[in-house]
Amino acid sequence: MSEEEMKPVQRGYYTREELEELGVFPPREELEKKRLCVIECVEEIPCNPCAAVCRSGAIIKEGLCKPPVVDWKACIGCTMCVAACPGMAIFMQWIEDGDGYVTMPYELLPEPKIGDRVQLLNRKGEAVGEGMIVNPTYQARGDAYPRWVVTVKMDDPDLSYEVRAFKILE
Amino acid sequence: MIAIEDWRIYEHPILKFDRGKEVTIYLDGKPLKAYKNETVAAALYANGIREFSKSIKYRRPRGFFCAIGRCSACMMEVDGVPNVRTCVTLVRDGMRIKRQRTIADWAAPFLGMMKLPPLRYMKLFTRPGFIYEPAMKIMRKFTGLGSYPEKVPEVAPSGGYQGELSTEFLIVGGGPAGMSAAVEAGQQGVDTLIIDDKEKLGGQLLKQTHMFFSDVKYAAGKRGFKLGEELVEKISKLDNVKVMTQTSAVGYYPSENTMLLKGPNDTTLKVKAKKYLISTGAYERSLVFENNDLPGVYGAGGVQTLLNVYGVKPGNRGILLGTGNVALIVSYHLLQAGIEVAGVFAPSFRRVRGYFVHAAKIKRHGVPIVTRHTIVKALGKNRVEGAIVTKLADYGKPIPGTERRVDCDFICVGVGLNPAYDLVQLFNPKMVYVGALGGMVPIRDRTYRFAENAYIAGDCASIEEATTAVLEGKLVGLYASQALGHGDETVPEKIEEYTRALEEDRGSPFSTRLREALRDITVEKIEEALK
Repeated sequence: MSEEEMKPVQRGYYTREELEELGVFPPREELEKKRLCVIECVEEIPCNPCAAVCRSGAIIKEGLCKPPVVDWKACIGCTMCVAACPGMAIFMQWIEDGDGYVTMPYELLPEPKIGDRVQLLNRKGEAVGEGMIVNPTYQARGDAYPRWVVTVKMDDPDLSYEVRAFKILE
Repeated sequence: MIAIEDWRIYEHPILKFDRGKEVTIYLDGKPLKAYKNETVAAALYANGIREFSKSIKYRRPRGFFCAIGRCSACMMEVDGVPNVRTCVTLVRDGMRIKRQRTIADWAAPFLGMMKLPPLRYMKLFTRPGFIYEPAMKIMRKFTGLGSYPEKVPEVAPSGGYQGELSTEFLIVGGGPAGMSAAVEAGQQGVDTLIIDDKEKLGGQLLKQTHMFFSDVKYAAGKRGFKLGEELVEKISKLDNVKVMTQTSAVGYYPSENTMLLKGPNDTTLKVKAKKYLISTGAYERSLVFENNDLPGVYGAGGVQTLLNVYGVKPGNRGILLGTGNVALIVSYHLLQAGIEVAGVFAPSFRRVRGYFVHAAKIKRHGVPIVTRHTIVKALGKNRVEGAIVTKLADYGKPIPGTERRVDCDFICVGVGLNPAYDLVQLFNPKMVYVGALGGMVPIRDRTYRFAENAYIAGDCASIEEATTAVLEGKLVGLYASQALGHGDETVPEKIEEYTRALEEDRGSPFSTRLREALRDITVEKIEEALK
């Protein structure tokens, strides 16, 4: 059985098409207006930090084990949920002047800096292009051991639907 | 000339390692660099030592497996005392460590060829009685069990706990469940003693660098070791909670209601408590394949300990066996330490066994998740140099001809945990085997009592998450305070709150079998069930 024929929960990733069917992505015209969160958390697991940190009430969890639902109108793109998600499953995405932007949680070395060239990786871990770090922030939330929330810019806005990790190039 | 190896991690995205000051230890007379806060096993590993002991019968090289004092593969002679668990013994300047060699070692390559009866040292020469002692002396020479030091080894004073002691509430095991129980019981004014066999409290929380799931009210979003530090601090503020570390419970005598403890430096202590809590956690399971005892085949938790507690790299390129949460998380921890993960292999058929988000976060960094596969053999002579994996057909049968070699220098076995029920059994409980809970567990009542005077919580009650262990611990702390006649009017309220939280935590489809199993083994009155 090839990887494509497997179920997402067996191969460890969803394809863009599968996620679109699940309604994970906001409409394209909204993404061209503002930064919005994309939550790739589809299983019922007991967890709620995303809804707890959301200041604008955009992330709704009906029960501890229900997957989160996003109200795109209310989302202000503050990135708090990206830093808070224990499963590292929340990203921010938007399109500006024909460039795609993705905000991702990052817990590896080396330390990200503005202007760093990065290799863009998709959900399968394949290299899909190069991009640049534009806004690395270190989000503390009162936690003494926080994580980086890094925004990466890429030339192709379509890539922003695919890129979910990056590797900083030397 | 031998190159000086150093496997320590100096830069980590999450952790800062407090190693303490540099000391020198000697392995078979050779000086090695170590740090004060390292255990002997971690210090040796950091210096490139992979072989800690040899198997008793066939003298096969053995590395550590669990790194938390359970597996006995890391036993060595330390300062003249044989069979010391080096993974839970801290180094000391000038410490002399020896591998336990025997005169049979030279024959090691040939031993595998024959069946060797004399080395079944436990059963032979017991009758007639007089030959036992001389025979034992000879056999110890062959088996490498070492000999007792001729005079009492020089030891540091043990901290004043000697002889006998009585307390209201004795907690065995200072992990998330034990510590939470100590905090709750301590806050209700119960005279509590908590013991743990490691050098500090925290259990397996200390090596969890990832953020926890669950409800934000109970630790979600916090990194595991942070939660451990918080609980330790809460305990240290309670005057009525005594802590004894490096102390193991080695026996319980129901007729006298006495628990026997073994403290550091061979001190023993008898404790009479009104209520006991057994929160001893779990053992890691191993997997059967050729050469699964080779140094380099480790428990996934053992690798986590080495990596996140002591900051020592287990190798440069590893593979994981199993796709439960532990295996997936450990692969992520390896990536964080800059170690390559050559693949996560597991016979899972329909899905990865852990949470999807854990799988997704390693997959997007290019770690292959290979389901429907299993390992057949570890390669290498004295340490792991690779592995042979094979594809499985339906019903788990290997498909011939699909074997392939994966290059790696260590193999992590993350195929699940078994409850550590050894101590539980001494209370004469009713034990049952429940697969969904991880193995042998005692029947308990709604207040987590499995014997008249003993409670159970955490992984030794049922293999679950640390967050559920915390809630179970809290509940036991409250139930015990009530039973001991302490506790204010807020207790029933808190019990209700935590019980509800625990139910919510177990509300996901992942816990369906677990919920059913827990319902099956929970009875109304434990006294009646035990009759």
